[in-house]
Amino acid sequence: MKKLKYIFFIFYLLTFTLPVLAQQQRFPKPEFESGYVQPSTQTPEPRALSLEYFDVLVLLVVLSLATWLAIKKRSRQGILWLSVFTLIYFGFYRNGCICSIGAIQNVALSFADPTYAISLTALLFFILPLAFTLFFGRTFCAGACPLGAIQDVVIIKPISLPKWLNKTLGLIPYIYLSLAVLFAATGTDFIICRYDPFVGIFRMDAKFHMVVLGISFLLMGMFVARPYCRFFCPYSVLLNWMSRFSKWHLSITPAACIQCKLCTNSCPFDAIDYPTNEKEVLKSGLGPKRFLVYALLIPLWIAAGVLVGKQSHTWLSKANPDVYLAELLISNPEIKNDPDNIDVQTFLASGKTMETLVQEAEILRGKFYIGSMIAGGFLGLVIGMTLLNTVVFRKRQDYVPHKGNCFSCGRCMDYCPVEK
Amino acid sequence: MKNKGIIIFLLILTVIIVVVIVGDYVSDRPNRSRPNPFAYDVEAFKSVNPDLIHYKESKNFRIGFQEPAALAIQNKKIYVAGDRSLKIIDLSGVLSSEFNLPGKVQAIEVWDGKVFLAIDNRILIYDEAGNVLDEWQPLKENSLITAIAATENNVFVADAGNRRVIRFSAEGEMRGEFEGKADEDALHGFIIPSPCFDLNVNDENELWVVNPGLHAFENYTFEGNLRSHWKKTGMTVDGFSGCCNPSHFTFLNDGRYVTSEKGLVRIKIHKRSGEFEGVVAAPEKFTEEGQAPDVAADNQNNIYALDFDKKVVRVFKPKNSTGL
Repeated sequence: MKKLKYIFFIFYLLTFTLPVLAQQQRFPKPEFESGYVQPSTQTPEPRALSLEYFDVLVLLVVLSLATWLAIKKRSRQGILWLSVFTLIYFGFYRNGCICSIGAIQNVALSFADPTYAISLTALLFFILPLAFTLFFGRTFCAGACPLGAIQDVVIIKPISLPKWLNKTLGLIPYIYLSLAVLFAATGTDFIICRYDPFVGIFRMDAKFHMVVLGISFLLMGMFVARPYCRFFCPYSVLLNWMSRFSKWHLSITPAACIQCKLCTNSCPFDAIDYPTNEKEVLKSGLGPKRFLVYALLIPLWIAAGVLVGKQSHTWLSKANPDVYLAELLISNPEIKNDPDNIDVQTFLASGKTMETLVQEAEILRGKFYIGSMIAGGFLGLVIGMTLLNTVVFRKRQDYVPHKGNCFSCGRCMDYCPVEK
Repeated sequence: MKNKGIIIFLLILTVIIVVVIVGDYVSDRPNRSRPNPFAYDVEAFKSVNPDLIHYKESKNFRIGFQEPAALAIQNKKIYVAGDRSLKIIDLSGVLSSEFNLPGKVQAIEVWDGKVFLAIDNRILIYDEAGNVLDEWQPLKENSLITAIAATENNVFVADAGNRRVIRFSAEGEMRGEFEGKADEDALHGFIIPSPCFDLNVNDENELWVVNPGLHAFENYTFEGNLRSHWKKTGMTVDGFSGCCNPSHFTFLNDGRYVTSEKGLVRIKIHKRSGEFEGVVAAPEKFTEEGQAPDVAADNQNNIYALDFDKKVVRVFKPKNSTGL
């Protein structure tokens, strides 16, 4: 079985990633003198609106199927094949766009900029997985996300990470989400799309370093299952929140747990909560006193976050090309004479005055001032809540999936000997 | 340590991921961007083999407009619009008359003594003395009129904003419109990335419309059915290049095409079949990266180009005295 997995991985690597490296830019097209007739210009069409709605329909069907397979049918095999379909359709056929993860930015921008109209498709791609997760858990991650699917098929020898490392790395998605919303709302950049490690593989046209990024994530995913989903994906923050409220979440066992412990090592994502050992809890000294201290610390964490955000807004605002360019031209006016600097020459050719650029940069910096403080406060709250969670005692008698972190992939179900 | 090799491998991958992300972020800054490695050097296409140049510039005259807008020729008179006025000039360049207009002109056509002007996306019809003969209803909100062509009973208007051609009766009644789709299921018709969308009716009463995104000339029936077309893409002298060319065109009296291109600014002649015939004015005659001149022709096959950059009307005469 292991051999088969290795063979599959090597086949995958050769089939889908090497052509990306082989594709060299051929532009400009040479003008031949040999009589060769160049093919005429093809103007690609935007995707027809009806096909965009068809994509939404496909997403809806895939989400429904994933939910049915995870909760009713309890079929890991079915979920696996569904995620392969998702990988092919939403990944390689639809080129990873539009995706629910990136749609966060469209939604953020539509709230911040009244002149930006979000498309109905983007809005539905954002909302539908959240709505499903709210009721059924993260079935989107199980079978409807191409980024999850591509990582899921390369899991070979997953190792379990220490709890402290899981918790610490688990803060990264919150930071990523804060920055993504901040940058999208200020019109700076869509960083989720820019640093999507797999979209270049789906499209087979990524720059070399992005191919390296994608392959690195996949190689890492052989041992740390779904590293992007667990420690980067900003959408996972929202899904995590929604999933905690889900009423019909996947369960490991279809009936009463017989405590056989067969499922304990089945989850490659460390998303199974074990029954609580009350003696250990009591011995550890976790109690109401520490809970109270941590709870009281939350406002301090928020205040600290706001302060850090305030202090860092100048630095963060430099991510905006207009702000950066304004500062650059003020500090190095001689750069205007550099004919090789495309950005500066583009600005000069646009006819925009320096005063206008500076004014726009000041407005943007003002937005970053507010946005950075909100982002800092949010991160402070997240840190405070994460610490508080470490001292919260939840009584569990069975092996259950962690509703927030469980991807509803169904691996654990296969290990459970209990039948209905 | 358990899984020591795997942990080292993972640490290396983590470093690679961080380096790639930080490196990409830091390198993509305005003071660190490299010159465009794919810049297309078109210098070689600016010079044209002198044997291919069939015209020479015989004269040019200043028209006194800050913003020249459009040009037409009819009955040995040049009609030039710009700066909210219209000037009528004889072929030697002497001003015959001038009258003010209520707005900036977008396109001009002269037919049977009537001057059709597109102003604020509506058609106004004047006589040569400057009297308003008729004023039609404005087009849709997103309309942008870029060309007018009139025949005895029809007036065709190119609406670049809505990517369609609208057919009016001579009295201004809308008779139909079409968007250049070969059939109902076709995803696109006219591809118009910039407001360059010209049309004309030739000596055989055929309506020809430029599909600039395809570098194509398309012949339609008056009802909007595609009858024939020709196209030629290429940076070389016999083709059209860029996003939207030819930007303007007119017909010689024998039905040959006079085309004007932007980007690599040049004026050329194509035969009725579409085959390249020769050059009227090579790119070196025009301002670098300038606008495509509006073009018109008289009965002697002299070509008049409204040079928007130099703000002059330039006259090009055939080198061959027969005008062919």
